[in-house]
Amino acid sequence: MSGNASGIIPLEEGWNDEIKAKAIDKLEAMLNGGLKSGETNMFGPREYVQIYTTCYDMCTQRSPYNWSRELYQRHGETIERYLASTVIPALRDKTGQGGTTLLTELQHRWGDHQIMNKWLKKFFTYLDRYYVKHHSLPTLSQAGLRCFRTHVYDEMKRETTAAILGLINDEREGQIIDKSLVKSIVELYENMGMGSLDAYNGDLEEPLLQSTREFYAKRREEWINDSTPDYLVKAEEALQEERSRVADYLSSSSEPKILRVVEEEILEKVELVLLEKETSGCRALLQNDKSEDLSRMFRLFQRLENGLTPIAAIVQEFITSMGQEILKRRQARLDGGEKDKNDDPKFVKAIIELHEKYLGVVKKDFSGHSLFQKALKDAFVEIVNKNVGSFTNAELMSTFCDRILKSGGEKLSEAEVEESLDRIVQLFSYLTDKDLFAEIYRNQLSKRLLNQRSTSDDAEKLMIAKLKVQCGTQFTSKMEGMLADLAVGSQQRTEFEQRMRQVETSLDFSVQVLTTGFWPTYKSPQVTLTEEMNKCMKVFREWHELKHQKRKLGWVLTQGSATVRGTFGKKSYEIQVSTLQAIALDALSGGETLSFEDLSQRLNLEETILKPLMHSLSCGKYKVIAKTPASNKINTTDKFTANAKFSSNMRKIRIPMASLDANFNTKKVEEDRSIAIEAAIVRIMKARKTLQHQQLLSEVLAQLSFFNPNPRVVKKRIEALIDREYLERGTDNPGVYNYLA
Amino acid sequence: MMDVEQETTVNLISKDGDSFSVPLAVAKMSELVKGMIDEDAEDEGDKIEIPLPNVKSQVLNKVIEFCEHHLQEPMTEIEKPLKSQVMADVVQKWYADFVDVEQVLLFELILAANYMDIKPLLDLTCATVAGMIKGKTPEDIRQTFGIQNDFSPEEEAQVREENKWCEEA
Repeated sequence: MSGNASGIIPLEEGWNDEIKAKAIDKLEAMLNGGLKSGETNMFGPREYVQIYTTCYDMCTQRSPYNWSRELYQRHGETIERYLASTVIPALRDKTGQGGTTLLTELQHRWGDHQIMNKWLKKFFTYLDRYYVKHHSLPTLSQAGLRCFRTHVYDEMKRETTAAILGLINDEREGQIIDKSLVKSIVELYENMGMGSLDAYNGDLEEPLLQSTREFYAKRREEWINDSTPDYLVKAEEALQEERSRVADYLSSSSEPKILRVVEEEILEKVELVLLEKETSGCRALLQNDKSEDLSRMFRLFQRLENGLTPIAAIVQEFITSMGQEILKRRQARLDGGEKDKNDDPKFVKAIIELHEKYLGVVKKDFSGHSLFQKALKDAFVEIVNKNVGSFTNAELMSTFCDRILKSGGEKLSEAEVEESLDRIVQLFSYLTDKDLFAEIYRNQLSKRLLNQRSTSDDAEKLMIAKLKVQCGTQFTSKMEGMLADLAVGSQQRTEFEQRMRQVETSLDFSVQVLTTGFWPTYKSPQVTLTEEMNKCMKVFREWHELKHQKRKLGWVLTQGSATVRGTFGKKSYEIQVSTLQAIALDALSGGETLSFEDLSQRLNLEETILKPLMHSLSCGKYKVIAKTPASNKINTTDKFTANAKFSSNMRKIRIPMASLDANFNTKKVEEDRSIAIEAAIVRIMKARKTLQHQQLLSEVLAQLSFFNPNPRVVKKRIEALIDREYLERGTDNPGVYNYLA
Repeated sequence: MMDVEQETTVNLISKDGDSFSVPLAVAKMSELVKGMIDEDAEDEGDKIEIPLPNVKSQVLNKVIEFCEHHLQEPMTEIEKPLKSQVMADVVQKWYADFVDVEQVLLFELILAANYMDIKPLLDLTCATVAGMIKGKTPEDIRQTFGIQNDFSPEEEAQVREENKWCEEA
């Protein structure tokens, strides 16, 4: 320290003898001399403190000898001078010798600047503490950075940006470039924003996006002649490369922007061309089950806004057309003379398989994306609700369930049964007329249960549970009631057996009680029964009345069954028949010959029932009754007698009889619909009090999920409700309804 | 890290040439010292000597005492504006006692804290001086610090007029 007499340091003396000589000149010399790598300790504590103290003293001396302003100014000038006299010429020198050369020099100079800036800041640091703060000036570091920006960066950025873009394109072409060099220059761009990314964004990112766009536009033109899968493989690679490029040396904020540009150029602009390629587009991939290519297609176009919509449209159209094929095949079989019946497992299985296959495609290749789920659903709604032949698909599906669930149908393991039911319920969910299915299903269920033809109680419950999940309790309450009746019945039966033991009878008699309403309605003719039967029924009625006084018992004799023993010649057989068949056999068992008329009177059965009854006994596989004249048709003039010559290899035989009731009652379905519509109208009106016709209509349609009512039918129901004074028309606006409490 | 700093010591050299061996953690309370040490983090071999040509031994001693204590019991932030002239009311007792020194030493501590860039010490010493001024008339203040009134009566009237708000408050 050059303490003169007063202890005051004059500006020029302090600057020239101390700061410039001992700090700045030495620093510059070291930078120019090239630093040994890792050498950061350029000034030892002793040297450093001396310079710091000089600056400190010069900044703390009393005015007019306070040199803060001058030192701050000279700090900036020092940097400016060094950049202008040393750095810029060096950079100019390296321009035009290739990007790497220029960027390497810049990297070196930027490194030097950071060292210089750091040391100058340390020397003059006292300025930062008060002078800079009080005058709201840039800090020493900021000032140094600004110098670099104005004097080097702004001067050179056109050339350096071009050099970076050149290297990036070289890398895109497959060349190896010095990534760490580019990375360090990118950091320089980031620093030049002084805390924001403005410089990087404006000076590097924007030109980069432009050059990226040009690069991939060219690529697109080259690749577009490839097949779609090949193109997409390249596109996916390109996106991956760009992503890793950002990670390697660009600002992470650039990633979405760069990828967006690439997506626009190589995906968005050619999406439809790629999808529609005749031999390798989306349809062809679906046709050939190209799972991997489809999922790549999905992955890539998912990136675009609405990129999946056209794919989903093609998928829907494709599945629909596959479904149409199945419908056509069924039509062709019917046209080819196959009997049109309510049982077509081939068709139902084909639909199930189609659904299974494309459900898999949607889940796996299209990640279960909602657009594709909807495409699948829409396609199947179209397929499943298109009926071919005289039976609805609802009936075919219900019959298919029947095959699975009844004995002697499909032979499946427990797991297969569950799987099949699962799949059929999925198809069921696409049906518009769910109530129709329910009605048919209930009829078939009732037959299975009453004829003891259901293979597994668990499987029945499982199916009903699945329907319940789809449609709610209301939908399955009757079916559940049916199963419950049987469960209760088996307990009661044991109790009743006790009672029957006290009765003297040759019959082994049991009764199944069904709850009215759960079960389909059956014809119930007042048939004349045998005495034994009447006796047993009386016992049951009395027993039941004791247990349940308030319940009314009605007999559904058509659904009963009996096992009778018949002796023909020397052989006797156990014959399983319905109750009606049993009394007919009983009437003829004495060997009498009876005319149709005789039987009709004796049994009290009308022609419509007696005809199929006698047909089953005299024209079926087991002709236990002989009729004259022999033919395959029952006439009212026929005569009947027991067939003494009957014989069969089996000891136990079952003689089926054609059902007296239709499989289901369309009228019943219509009635139920009317009730459901009216209930919905009343529910909605009760909540809303007043509604316009259109609003009411659309709310009703939204509420009814088991079928699609015709608006005209809804209107009729509204009128019916007005007649019954649930609703009234608005007095001044007849298009408005009011709810009448 | 803390352990290393406790074990390693540096020598602080006062204006008078006396050497004070101080644990690294204590020395680093001074931003000035810290700025030099960080660079040297690697070479632990030689003893680091840091000259402090603006600080006399007596003052440096006191500074080190402050830094050592601060590591044990950090000084609470002094609330501003000062709620009391009594230092014991605004800071822990040890610190209040620490600045209970002659004016000359107090001022030298301010300068040293500023030079060595030790913020809590600067806060403490400046708050002490502020406490000595708070609530006093200009005449009292002049007396406290031994300042001659170099205002002419006219100048003084003018300054009073300009700063009237201050007395009203």
